[in-house]
Amino acid sequence: MTPTHFAFSSAFMLGLMGLAFHRQHLLSALLCLEGMMLSLFIALSLWTLQLDSTSFSASPMLLLAFSACEASAGLALLVATTRTHGSDQLQNLNLLQC
Amino acid sequence: MTFIMYLLLFLLILGLVAVASNPSPYFAALGLVLVAGMGCGVLVSHGGPFLSLILFLIYLGGMLVVFAYSAALAAEPYPETWGSRPVIMSVMIYVLGVLLVGGIFWGGWYESSWMSVDELMEFSILRGDMAGVAMMYSSGGLMLIISAWVLLLTLFVVLELTRGLNRGALRAV
Repeated sequence: MTPTHFAFSSAFMLGLMGLAFHRQHLLSALLCLEGMMLSLFIALSLWTLQLDSTSFSASPMLLLAFSACEASAGLALLVATTRTHGSDQLQNLNLLQC
Repeated sequence: MTFIMYLLLFLLILGLVAVASNPSPYFAALGLVLVAGMGCGVLVSHGGPFLSLILFLIYLGGMLVVFAYSAALAAEPYPETWGSRPVIMSVMIYVLGVLLVGGIFWGGWYESSWMSVDELMEFSILRGDMAGVAMMYSSGGLMLIISAWVLLLTLFVVLELTRGLNRGALRAV
């Protein structure tokens, strides 16, 4: 395992652990998801660049398009939650249920 | 070059630690900006300037601006920085975990062995990733259409989610 591979795989694992263990704000969870997506983008790009398979280099762009969808849906949920519950703290979603 | 690469990779992991250790979302967004910038440096150092430009312009310029703007919705009176106690505890735990796992692989990383093996690359002006991304318009046309369709669908999803309190998909009951 080269240092670059170690860097992006540990970045992915750190984002996953942050998403799994800390859920105080909804926005923090979304930011951890974005960090995981960023490490996946770097991983796909490095796959292309290190193996010289240049026809594969459209796949990080497609990953970026799909992750834009994920981020926009998550932020729309954040806005909707803020409008109905007052803040994005995930405790409020349990406290104020009817 | 070796030192610059190790510095970039170290700051990339440190930025993800800063995101994952759960500070207030302002500071987590700042950590993600650091990760994106260091990722641009890593991609440039591996010989992919177009992908790095995409990452910098589209990701950092487009998506992270929206994230930083949405951090205003997560405002709290006493924000937690990396200096406060639970955050610095998880920072230490994460850094220790990364160092422990990295210690397993440390023996295989010889200090001076960071060199590129491709030859005749320096005579070409265009790097391979520009041509590869342009393949999206010929061979990968189906995936291009699917991506555009998914983005259009997401537009309607977002409009429906944030429409309003009495007509939208989410409403207060």
